[in-house]
Amino acid sequence: MTAERREKWGDALTYLMAILIAAFFLTPLAWLLSLSLRTRQEVFLGASRFIPKRPTLDNFAQILSDPTFLLYLWNGLKLSALGGLGCLLVAAPAAYAFSRFWFSGKSALMMVILAFQMISPLVILVPLYRYMSALGLINSHFGVTMVYIAISVPMCTWLVKGAIDGIPKSLEEAAAIDGCSRFGTFWRITLPLAAPGLASAFILIVILNWSQFLIPFLLLNKDAQLPISVAIFNFAGTSNASSTQVLAAACLVAVVPAIVAFLLLQRMIVGALTAGAVKG
Amino acid sequence: MQTTQTAAMAISRRVAGPSLGRRLEANPFTWLVPVAVMLGVFYLYPIIDVFRLGLTNASLVGNEERYTLATIRAMFENPALVDILWTTFLFTFGSVVGQQVFGLAIALLVMRGERRKLPGMVALRTIVLIAWVIPGIANGLIWQMLFSEAPFGAINSVLRLMHISPVAWLSDPNMAMVSAVLSNVWRGTAFSMIVFYAALKAIDPTLYEAASVDGASGTQKLRFITLPQLRAAILVNSILVTIQTLNTFDAIISLTGGGPGRATEVLSLFTFNTVFRNYDLAGGSVLSVLMLAISLVLALVYASFLPRREASE
Repeated sequence: MTAERREKWGDALTYLMAILIAAFFLTPLAWLLSLSLRTRQEVFLGASRFIPKRPTLDNFAQILSDPTFLLYLWNGLKLSALGGLGCLLVAAPAAYAFSRFWFSGKSALMMVILAFQMISPLVILVPLYRYMSALGLINSHFGVTMVYIAISVPMCTWLVKGAIDGIPKSLEEAAAIDGCSRFGTFWRITLPLAAPGLASAFILIVILNWSQFLIPFLLLNKDAQLPISVAIFNFAGTSNASSTQVLAAACLVAVVPAIVAFLLLQRMIVGALTAGAVKG
Repeated sequence: MQTTQTAAMAISRRVAGPSLGRRLEANPFTWLVPVAVMLGVFYLYPIIDVFRLGLTNASLVGNEERYTLATIRAMFENPALVDILWTTFLFTFGSVVGQQVFGLAIALLVMRGERRKLPGMVALRTIVLIAWVIPGIANGLIWQMLFSEAPFGAINSVLRLMHISPVAWLSDPNMAMVSAVLSNVWRGTAFSMIVFYAALKAIDPTLYEAASVDGASGTQKLRFITLPQLRAAILVNSILVTIQTLNTFDAIISLTGGGPGRATEVLSLFTFNTVFRNYDLAGGSVLSVLMLAISLVLALVYASFLPRREASE
């Protein structure tokens, strides 16, 4: 067998594997979509109605016409975005210092910050729950946002440092010669130049915040304050077999914003993730 | 007039040395204050408190707190703990191995496709990555719809169509663990894949060219070039995935709730139940310390296998 023919067989095998992998990863979402488009009767017909005979949008209409459900979506968006914004504000100065200053123990300090990422939110929530109820921060979006910020600060610092590392120093030096203060340079020159990196860090953290469950689940008790991740969990607890199609629609609505945000910014996110990745 | 005044001010400032603001901003630690405050308030202080609470009999339904070692003893004498740790081990081991092997296989496949300039490889990468942004809670609920033994369960209804008897995916204790691992691998593989993909791109292509000249086969290249070059990536990935899996909570609580019985109750879920269902704050703190200790020990064990950087590098 010639080398060229072997490569051709290899290509065919590559595609076969690719199709199997794609099927494994797409089937759960396709099933979710299929269930969410069915009537209650068709749900009970299982896989034989993978493509529903009488597809319906009633389940989505039922979900989206419910004002509380829209409120859950809004709460989810609000908490995720505020958490992302706050995180950038806290992490950007530190990222600047790690990128532009030289001081002893710098790389050790960066590893220490990253090590916090390894600690489960559950561990810190055990005592935090008590403080926060003592401080009246239970049932407050402010309290939840602060915990979100703390949890994503380590990763955010690393991502923003990577973005700042990529900017040439010459513009900052020019600003310093013109008498701009260090903070002024950071605010007026460095941050605007790092905008694309800041944006991808922001989006990535918003997507991760969108899936946060434990923190709002523990710190928020009032129904009207819950983000979507907690709301669908509660909904699943109260739903039964006859409302599976509605639960499927709710899940899909909760999942789609994250997928769309990811698809739109895929290039940036994958770039940000791989830039800091291990180099052999 | 005005110019002389500013000039005079500038001179006086120079005499007094740089202003406080300028001196502060020249010190890198000033810039680290916000991060230090956030991590101090929301991580360090709580962690110190977890250690302290583990030595008390604290409860969420306020009784009088006093220091005692009874909680630690009670926790370690609890016969359920061994089962919980075994469950945690099975779940973590299955997930780590599954995600690493599957993630590496996909990354190699995508690299091969890209080398041959086959269309559709970015699409494959994207499809795998989509699962990664699915919230953990939704992940559990979606897989529940696939594993369900009710008529709408995807897998069993396909089996029934093929006249194969259905499987008790979530109600059989052993199968429930397999199901939990499978759903976790579905969501977590993307992360391993992207790390391996980046590491594969960083391998020097001349290594492969030299091996081809020497007549190495594909498997030999994989064994003697790719895997050794990926050693650091595999170890770093193992640390991250292991700790992520140990901390996994939402995907399990929404898929099985820890059941049937306690078949899928991992350490994080057990800790949660101890504190927030049984209100045993002290016991939960002991378990939290145990979680921290396990993560730390595993991270150190993996890290000890990391290749040392040569002085010549």
